[in-house]
Amino acid sequence: MESAVNTVILPDASGHLAGRPLEEWNAAYAKVENYFHALRIRNKVLLGDLVLRVLERAQRRAPAELNRSATQLAAEEMDRIVTEWFSEVLQSPPTKADQTLSTRGRLALLLADMPGRWQEQFLRPGPWPEEFTSAMRETFLRAGPDFQLSKMTPRPLDLGPITTLQNLGKMPYFRMTLVWAGFALLFIVFFWLTHGGFEQVRTWLSLLVDWFRQINQ
Amino acid sequence: MADTPTISVAAAPRLQRGWRLFIFYSSALLLTGLVSLLFADLLWRTGWSASRTVLLVLFVVLFLFAAIGCMHGVYGFFLRSFGDSRRITNLKNYRDRTIDGISTAIVFPIYNEDSVRVYEGLRATYESLARTGQLERFDFFILSDSTDPDKWVEEERRWFDLIRELDALGKIYYRRRLDNEGRKSGNVRDFLNAWGRRYRYFMVCDADSVMRGETLVDLVKLMEVHPTVGLIQTVPALVNAESLFGRIQQFANRLYAPVFIAGLNYWALDLGNYWGHNAIIRTEPFMQFCDLPQLPGTKPFGGQILSHDFVEAALMSRENWEVWFAYDLEGSYEETPQAMIENAQRERRWCQGNLQHGLVLFAKGLRGVSRLHLILGICGYLAGPLWLLFLITFNWIYWYQKYTGLSDIPVQAFTPYLNNLSGTAHALLIFIICMVVIMLPKFLSLIDLANDWPRRRLFGGLARATTGVVGETIFSTLHAPLLMLWHTRFVVTNFLGISVSWTTQKRAAGGTTWLFAFQRHWGHTLIGIVWGAFMWQLEPTLFWWFTPVLAGMALSIPLSVLTSRRSLGTRARSAGLFLTPEEIKLPQELLSLRSNLKIHELTDDNSPRPPHAGLVEAVLDPYVNAIHVSLLREKQLNPAYVEQLAKLGVGSDRVQMLGEKLLADGPDKLSTGERLLIMADQRVMVWLHQQSWQRPSETLAPWWRGAILEYSRRN
Repeated sequence: MESAVNTVILPDASGHLAGRPLEEWNAAYAKVENYFHALRIRNKVLLGDLVLRVLERAQRRAPAELNRSATQLAAEEMDRIVTEWFSEVLQSPPTKADQTLSTRGRLALLLADMPGRWQEQFLRPGPWPEEFTSAMRETFLRAGPDFQLSKMTPRPLDLGPITTLQNLGKMPYFRMTLVWAGFALLFIVFFWLTHGGFEQVRTWLSLLVDWFRQINQ
Repeated sequence: MADTPTISVAAAPRLQRGWRLFIFYSSALLLTGLVSLLFADLLWRTGWSASRTVLLVLFVVLFLFAAIGCMHGVYGFFLRSFGDSRRITNLKNYRDRTIDGISTAIVFPIYNEDSVRVYEGLRATYESLARTGQLERFDFFILSDSTDPDKWVEEERRWFDLIRELDALGKIYYRRRLDNEGRKSGNVRDFLNAWGRRYRYFMVCDADSVMRGETLVDLVKLMEVHPTVGLIQTVPALVNAESLFGRIQQFANRLYAPVFIAGLNYWALDLGNYWGHNAIIRTEPFMQFCDLPQLPGTKPFGGQILSHDFVEAALMSRENWEVWFAYDLEGSYEETPQAMIENAQRERRWCQGNLQHGLVLFAKGLRGVSRLHLILGICGYLAGPLWLLFLITFNWIYWYQKYTGLSDIPVQAFTPYLNNLSGTAHALLIFIICMVVIMLPKFLSLIDLANDWPRRRLFGGLARATTGVVGETIFSTLHAPLLMLWHTRFVVTNFLGISVSWTTQKRAAGGTTWLFAFQRHWGHTLIGIVWGAFMWQLEPTLFWWFTPVLAGMALSIPLSVLTSRRSLGTRARSAGLFLTPEEIKLPQELLSLRSNLKIHELTDDNSPRPPHAGLVEAVLDPYVNAIHVSLLREKQLNPAYVEQLAKLGVGSDRVQMLGEKLLADGPDKLSTGERLLIMADQRVMVWLHQQSWQRPSETLAPWWRGAILEYSRRN
C-alpha cells in the first residue's frame, strides 16, 4: 500500500490533468472529501492528504480509462484504498463476493472510536499501536447475547359457552332459523300494534308534537 | 414450549382469600342492596312502570360498580391504618437474599416511539441499577416493533450512542422485529423465543417506564424468596406530567392509588393481576403457560387478544403460580397522557381489549378471582353506556310523566319509617348517598395522608392536598360525562365490528389546539347544548341538577384545550396545587431523566427532520450503515429470523431491483413497505451505500443528489 503522495501530477498546457479538465478533478476531490468527512475525519491537513492520495491513484488510472469520469475513478480508488487498509488492520482478506469487510471495517472504526482517538491512524500503513489494533479487531457489535432458542406454543383455551356461541353461526340452517325468528318478531309487533300499540305510538307522537308546540309558543 | 418438561406448583390454600372475597363483595352487595331498595321505593311511590324497571336495573348495576370502587377505598384505608400483614413484601424477609448468579432481562418493547425519551428512561434505570452494584445481574433489551423506516434508523443510531456513552456494549441490546405479529405480546414472545432461556426472570417496561435500581433488585429478591410466585406487579407512580390534565391525573394517582390498591390486594392476594409493564415475571412458567391463543371469530372480538396482560395473569394463576401486587414498593414510574384527547385515544385501545375479555371470561380452568379481574375491566367500559342509558331513561320518564299530565299516585312506601320523607327529600337522600359512595375513597385518602406525616409533606401539606382533591373532584366531575360519551362510542363501535388501529401514544405536553379540540369535541358540545335546552324546557329545577353533566359536555372544547396547556400546569404547580411526592422531592432517576432530556432539547437539531432522513442516514452515513447492516447480519444466526427474512423476500432479485429503483427514482417512488424491505436486506444496504458514493451524480435521482449535497453540507 502506498503511503503518501509521492508523484505530483501537474496540469498540461490545455489546463487538463490526466486527460480531464480541472473541474472534473475538482468534483472528484469534493466527492472523496465528502466521504472522508462522513467518516468523521475532521483534521483538515490529514483530510487533504488522504484525498490527494486517492486522487493520485485515480489520476494514474485515468489515461487508460477515458470513458470513465474522474469522480468515478476517484470513488472506486477510495473504496479500494479503504478496503485494503481494513484488510490489513483487521487481518482479513478482502473477498469480492460481498462487502462484509467494508462493513466490518467501518464498524470497527466506530467501535474503536477512530474519529475521536485514532484519526491519525486512518489509512496509515502499519505497524499501528497495539491498543488501536486490538480495539479494531476485538470489538463486535451485538444485537443480543447468544441465542438460546425455544418455541413458545399457546396452550389450548377452552372458551366454554363462548365456543358454543361462536359455533352457532356454523350450525346448519342457522341463518334460516334466524330468518324464521325475524318472522316471529314481525308477527309479535303486528299483534302489539293491533292491540293498543297504534294508540300508544299515536299518544307518544302527539305528546311530542304538543311539546314542540309548547316550546315554540 | 413443546420440548420442555412442564413445571408445576401446588395450589395455595384458599380459605383465607375465600373469606376475604366473601366479606369484601358482600359489603359492596349489601350497600348496593340497601340503596337500591331506597331507590326502588322512590320509584314505587311515584307509580311503577316498565321504564322504571329499566331505570332500577340500571341503577342497581351502576351503583354496584360505585360500591365496589368505594369498598376498595374503605378496605384499603383500614388496612393502611391498622396494618396489612398479607403483603408480598411482608410475607418473608427478602432483603438479605443474595441474587448472585441470577440473570434478569429488562425489556423495553417499543413501537414508533420517541426514541430520545425511551432511551433516556432506559439510561436513568440503567444508571440507577449501576448504583446498586448489581448491574452485572441484568441485561437490557430494546425490543423494537417500529414500522417507520426513519424511526428504525434513529433507534439504531441512538442505541449505539447510548451504549457508547454508558460503556454498555454487551449490556444493552437492540432488536427490531421483522414483522409485528402479535403486537406487544408477540414482541415479548419473540424475545423469549430467542433469549428467554438465558434469564430466570424478565421485567417488562413500557416505553415511558423508569425503574429505580433498588426496586429492580428487590423484585428479583422477592421472586427468589417466593419460588411459587410467577409475577409481581408494581404500582407505577405517574410522573413527569406538565400539562394541567396530566398533573391532575398524576395527583389523583399518587394520592388515591395506595388506598385503592391496598383494597384490591385485600381480596386478590396471590391471585393479583398484571398491567402489562413495570412487573417482574418468572420466565419459565410464563413461556410454558402464557402464550396467548387466537380467539375464535373475527375482529374486533375474535383474533389476537389485545389486552394481553390480564389474560396472561389469569393463565399464570390457572397453573397455580402466584401473582402479586407489590403495591408498597416505591421507585416504579410511568407517564400519563397530557391531554384529554390523547387519554381518550388510549382508552379506546383499552376498551377494545377489555371488551374482548368477554370471550375469555368463560374459559375453562380460570380461577374465579381472575374472572373477577376480567369482569371489573369490562365493567370499567360498560359503565359509560349504562350511565348514559340511565340518564336517558330518567329523562324519558320525567318527560312522559309531565306531558301526559299523569300525576304521581302516592302509595304506601318506606316513607313512614323514614320520618315521612317527601318525594324530593327521598330523592335527595339517595343522591347524597351516591355522592358519599363516590367521594368517600377520596376523603379516606386524605385522612390516610393526614395520618402519615412524612407523606403529607410530600404532597405539600394537608391544606394543599385538600385543595388539590377539591380541584380534582371538580375536574373529574366535568370530565366524567365526556368519558361517558367516549366510552359509549367506543363500546358501540366495537359491537358494530369496527376495530382500532394501533397508533403510537402522544405523550408530550404539546397542548391541544382549538381546531383539533373542535374536531374532536363538537359532538359533545352539541349534545350538551341540546340536552341542556331540553332539560330547561322540561323543568328548570331539573336542569340545575344536571348542570355538572351538561357543563362537562358543553364546555368540552375549552376544557380540553386549557387542561392540555403546560402553562396552566406550571401555574397550578406554582400555586401549590396537585403537588405529588416526585414533584416535591425529585428522585435521582427522574432528575437524571429530566436533565438528559433537557440536554437533548438544547443540543439536538430540533428542526423537523426532512422526509426519509433515516433512510438517507442508513444509506449514506458509513457508520450508521455499518451498524444497520451488522444488526441485520446477526439475524442470520436465528433460524426463525432467517425464515421470516425469506418470507419477506429478502435476498431476492426483487429487492435488488427495488434498490436500483430507489437510487434511480428516489424514495418517494417506493411505498413504505418497499423501503422497509430494502432496509431489511443487508446485501442491498451495503450495495446502496457503495453505489450512492461511487455512482456518477447524473445516474442518481435528483432526490439523491440533493440528499448527498445536504448530507455533506451537514457533516
